[in-house]
Amino acid sequence: MTWTCELTEARLSDYLDGLLSPDDRHAFDMHVNACEHCVPFVAGVSHLLTDLRSLEQIEPPPQLVTLILNRTIGPRETKKGWRLAFGWLNALASARFAYSAISVAASLLILLTAAGFSWRKPKLADLSPATIYRFADQQAHLVYARSTKFVSDLRVVYEIQSRLSKDNELPTTPETTMPQSAPGKNPGSTDGTRPATPKQQNRANGIGRELELLATQVPIISGAWSGQLIGRRTP
Amino acid sequence: MAPRSFGVKLVTVAGFEADDTLEQDAQLVQQCLQGDGSAWEELVRRHTRRIFNICYRFTGNGTESEDLSQEVFLRVYKTLGSYRSAHGGFATWMTSVTRNLLIDHYRRTKRDRITDSLEDSMPVVENKESVGRRPDQQLLLGELSYQVQNALTKLSPELREAVILRDLQQLEYNEIRQVLDVPEGTVKSRINRGRIELARILQQMGVRPS
Repeated sequence: MTWTCELTEARLSDYLDGLLSPDDRHAFDMHVNACEHCVPFVAGVSHLLTDLRSLEQIEPPPQLVTLILNRTIGPRETKKGWRLAFGWLNALASARFAYSAISVAASLLILLTAAGFSWRKPKLADLSPATIYRFADQQAHLVYARSTKFVSDLRVVYEIQSRLSKDNELPTTPETTMPQSAPGKNPGSTDGTRPATPKQQNRANGIGRELELLATQVPIISGAWSGQLIGRRTP
Repeated sequence: MAPRSFGVKLVTVAGFEADDTLEQDAQLVQQCLQGDGSAWEELVRRHTRRIFNICYRFTGNGTESEDLSQEVFLRVYKTLGSYRSAHGGFATWMTSVTRNLLIDHYRRTKRDRITDSLEDSMPVVENKESVGRRPDQQLLLGELSYQVQNALTKLSPELREAVILRDLQQLEYNEIRQVLDVPEGTVKSRINRGRIELARILQQMGVRPS
């Protein structure tokens, strides 16, 4: 392809931007070097491009950003003096901060109460680590003792209940408990049934005593069981 | 003999749509849409300089550039909900809004432009006198920048915006195509003609290339 001056002018930007193929670039160079019209023409434009790309950005007026912000999101007050000093307090007026503050206060309240702090007669000594530890240890032992006692009481009640249920399973009609005379035997002789042994009687009395003791300690069930126990005390 | 190459110091034109910038802008836009004022402020700070430069290079007037920059951000603020990342980066979209505003402004002030063109038809004054016209701008911009600015204002709007976006803002061809909403071939043609015309104007002004 024959490279002409018109083609040089038409493809000049492609040449200067490095967009020509190697063959076209070679042809371009060959033509320009040999053309007295194209040499100053290409040189002038290439130097212009160098100058344009070396130009620095112009700094806008310093108030331009402020003017733009005022026209878009509205004017903003410049805080001075005490407003500037206490401006950070505005951040405390948010719901998030309020919730956080309430949570922290509630946590402190619970912790102090659990630590034994007396709100009616507050003492600074109550906040000492040793006092808090001592109180916490005392409370822990008390809770453990109470829970152990409760479990033990429940166990006693369960045992008593199970024994009573067993006793209830035995026949209780007067014909079975009262000594009966055998129809065919002579008067005065026994029918072979054996009355309650002393061991069994003592055992029943013991259960009754335990139930009475339990009734005083566990008033909830005393009303339910006391009536039955009294009826069962004596055979 | 190897042919002499007129290769310009080929600056790697990376454009401004680097991945990190894209992602940060997208996040800020999302926060703005959720009502975060600080995110909008950050977007303004990130893009004010670039938008101002586009406006100034196109209009050549500092006061007009300030007003137009504010208009750009106001329009972006009002239409932020219409921005879709699938259509390109936020910076590209913002440049497109800027370009449209500049063209609208240019058409509104066409009468003044006609007056300027009459002045342009008079004999070209020497560089010294043109420098003396606006000493404050020359001091502000630097001599080369001032001369380039003078030459840019003499280009037609289509060629001017193409050269500004390519050679001053260093956008890629694809990004310029999105901003101007024209085919890429048209973009290349305008850039080429704009550069040639700009070089010719600077030569007529007596500006020697560096």
